[in-house]
Amino acid sequence: MRSIRRTTDLALAFAGATLALSAASCDRALAPPIAAAHEGEGTPERGGTLRLASFGDIRRLDPAVSADLLAGEAIELMFAGLVDYDRQGNVVPDLASRYEVSQDGLVYRFFLREGVRFHDGDEVTAADVVRSIERALHPSTPNPISSFYEMIEGYKAYVEKGAPHLEGVIEDGRYVVAVHLHERDARFLPAFALQNLRPVCKSGGDRYEDGWLPCGAGPFKLEPGGWDRGRSLTLVRHDGYFLPGRPYLDAVSWTYANNIGTELFKFQDGDLDVLRDMNQADATRFRVDGRWKPLGDFDPDRTVSGESMNTQMAPFDNVEVRRAVAAAVNREEYHLLRPLAVEAAGQILPPAVPGYDPTFVGQRYDYAAALEHMKNAGYPYDPSTGKGGYEPHVTYYAYRQGLSEYTAPLLQQQLAKIGIRLDIKMVNYATLLALAGRRGQAQMSAPGWGMDYPDPSDFFDLLFDSAGINEEGSLNSSFYSNPRLDAILEDARRELDTRRRYALYGEANRIVCDDAPWAITHYYRYFLVHQPYVKNFRPHAVWSDYVSESWLDRSVPRMALGTSVWSDVMGLYRQASVRGARP
Amino acid sequence: MFDPRARARFRKNRAALVGAALVVLLVAFAVVAPWLASHDPLASDFVHGVSRNQTPVGPGSFFLLGADRLFRDQFVRLAYGARISLTIAFASTLIASSIGAAVGITAGWYEGTFADTALMRVVDVGLAFPFLLLVMAIGAALERTTMTTILVTLGLTGWLGTARILRAKTLQVRNLEFVVASRALGQSTPLVLFRHVLPNVAGPLIVIATMSVAQMIVAESVLSYLGVGISPPTPTWGHMLFEGQDYYMAAPWLLIAPAAAIVLAVFGFNLVGEGLRDALDPQDD
Repeated sequence: MRSIRRTTDLALAFAGATLALSAASCDRALAPPIAAAHEGEGTPERGGTLRLASFGDIRRLDPAVSADLLAGEAIELMFAGLVDYDRQGNVVPDLASRYEVSQDGLVYRFFLREGVRFHDGDEVTAADVVRSIERALHPSTPNPISSFYEMIEGYKAYVEKGAPHLEGVIEDGRYVVAVHLHERDARFLPAFALQNLRPVCKSGGDRYEDGWLPCGAGPFKLEPGGWDRGRSLTLVRHDGYFLPGRPYLDAVSWTYANNIGTELFKFQDGDLDVLRDMNQADATRFRVDGRWKPLGDFDPDRTVSGESMNTQMAPFDNVEVRRAVAAAVNREEYHLLRPLAVEAAGQILPPAVPGYDPTFVGQRYDYAAALEHMKNAGYPYDPSTGKGGYEPHVTYYAYRQGLSEYTAPLLQQQLAKIGIRLDIKMVNYATLLALAGRRGQAQMSAPGWGMDYPDPSDFFDLLFDSAGINEEGSLNSSFYSNPRLDAILEDARRELDTRRRYALYGEANRIVCDDAPWAITHYYRYFLVHQPYVKNFRPHAVWSDYVSESWLDRSVPRMALGTSVWSDVMGLYRQASVRGARP
Repeated sequence: MFDPRARARFRKNRAALVGAALVVLLVAFAVVAPWLASHDPLASDFVHGVSRNQTPVGPGSFFLLGADRLFRDQFVRLAYGARISLTIAFASTLIASSIGAAVGITAGWYEGTFADTALMRVVDVGLAFPFLLLVMAIGAALERTTMTTILVTLGLTGWLGTARILRAKTLQVRNLEFVVASRALGQSTPLVLFRHVLPNVAGPLIVIATMSVAQMIVAESVLSYLGVGISPPTPTWGHMLFEGQDYYMAAPWLLIAPAAAIVLAVFGFNLVGEGLRDALDPQDD
């Protein structure tokens, strides 16, 4: 009977936990913001540790293998690049004081600032830049975006044929680096401003290796013991940073693998300075609370989501069926699932990406048109009887524990109204990517795409160019191939004139919306809120939680902020435990 | 219950009667509520389900238990969830009890033989695995989980305890005089097992099965809560609990309703099971 008692105990524990949560939920008012010492932005002050948190975790802090937003936050603070993005998403010089582009667009020359120091005190020179680029693009380095740089002269010889050096990257004097391209390509500079090719200290070596203590030339550095894997990361100020007086903060710390409910309580208790992970309901509470509303902000829309239809599999090999789906998707209902985060979308480029055309309508909900398209496709459907449509069930892959859990059943409802019956298969996100990217596997899936760099090519080239079709791991998950679109994208890559280039992408946009390999559904934007004493904390066009220019303006010492003494005691205990000592 | 005295003992047990009432109410809820409901459990209602601050509406006359995060009727989903939970719990218990009884009686009857040793080692190995962990592993391995796969999985993994207890009970019964006499009279083993042994181990079997129903309800809920249960949008209590947890501050009813349903169901079946145990065990008189 032991197992039976255990069942009862489990049920009672369940009840207790539920009641406790319900009791907690009775107090629904948010705690007031913790006031800053001064009104307004004021003047920058040095000192203090900015505390961030996430439900996720990071695996690597090496820029050569940077791939995710969370690790990218820390990498952005640790590694400076020759060029970087400003808050508006423009490419600007950083470690380089300036750069030049040759008339033919084939050579980029970067002029380094002199006297810039790595975290270990060594000077940053052109040789370090060349070594770091070769390290990041070496075939043994698991660089997820290595192919972004295939326009560099000698890339194929270096990556695929074992050439000892990357021919197109040249040390042209102690402080000058020249990058030669084998053909003109407007994507080079936006890709070069990403994190993966940034200079690393000599301790990083010529080849990528796990276990290296990451070391760069950014405003913050990682000290031994600063990364407690799976739990926390603390970066401290790099006193030799090349911008005088910067950064203002002494340190930035993250705790990982948090429960988002715990994050909410810690933020209100003053144990976190910025809160990013929130559900829809809590985000709404911050938005409608007059005390918190000015402290909340949205990250720019950098992601687009849609329902991908495999154009090589029935019924989506019929363009009329795809058009029917695109017209049957009611995007306003998607928006209502999470009004703060989800914005209805009818075109591929999110608003924060250059080239976005707010006047272009693209795909939109039109139920009558959707039924007409089904009829044209040979699958007429009668909504009054529920008869007709596409009889076989369509398998739709969605991912667990994300917005997809909301949108999948909604899509199922919406497509049922035009006679397309979905079988939903919920898998984890990695499985979804694998299945959606395998030829002939997924009829329909729920991919999304987050911007790597602010350029239309990052969306169109990767998602819809037929060159992106592979047997496995195809980013073109609809296996869509249109020679006309391919030609337009090719022209756009060669075109350096921004206006003409965006016009080409406008044409690509129209083709994709009409051919509908995706039913484009929504943009997702993150809401975040910070305490008033965190100054100069504003969303960045490219980087998440960009705190390089932020400072703290606290009015009272940390222990007097009304936080739990217990959490401080536990914090001290954990720190002591990490060092192998007891308090 | 075969014995009028046992029936009388059960009627005197107030806790058991409370449990029986809960079970009857639950079954009635599962059978009647979806039939009476005017809303589709799978359909979102963006007109009535969305509150002014764009969160799900709370309990009211239109949605008795409020709307869920997809603006569907929480009450109707709870009722359909009850059908699914009870169907899975009863069917998997039937499977588990049948296998457990067959294995336990066989092992007990052939005590000391290779069959007994082999069967009991299988049971030992099975019991060494945490039940829910085993079920979760199977659930995760299945590409698509339906009600059938879940109930079969639970049934095929939930018989071990039953087999162990029925073996012990069979060891007692097989040496009773009437069993020995029937064997001496030349009755075949299957006939002896069905006519004499099975009825005499039926009491414990019924008790275990009743409590097993509660265990299966929890198991199904845990699987659904962890995302390896029946695929959405089919309403299950465990998945409703999962869906509601993000809203425990803004819409606590989304959490309370399925949690209360699980607790009351488990509580009811356990009370009935314990009442049956007391009623069928004359030593408690």
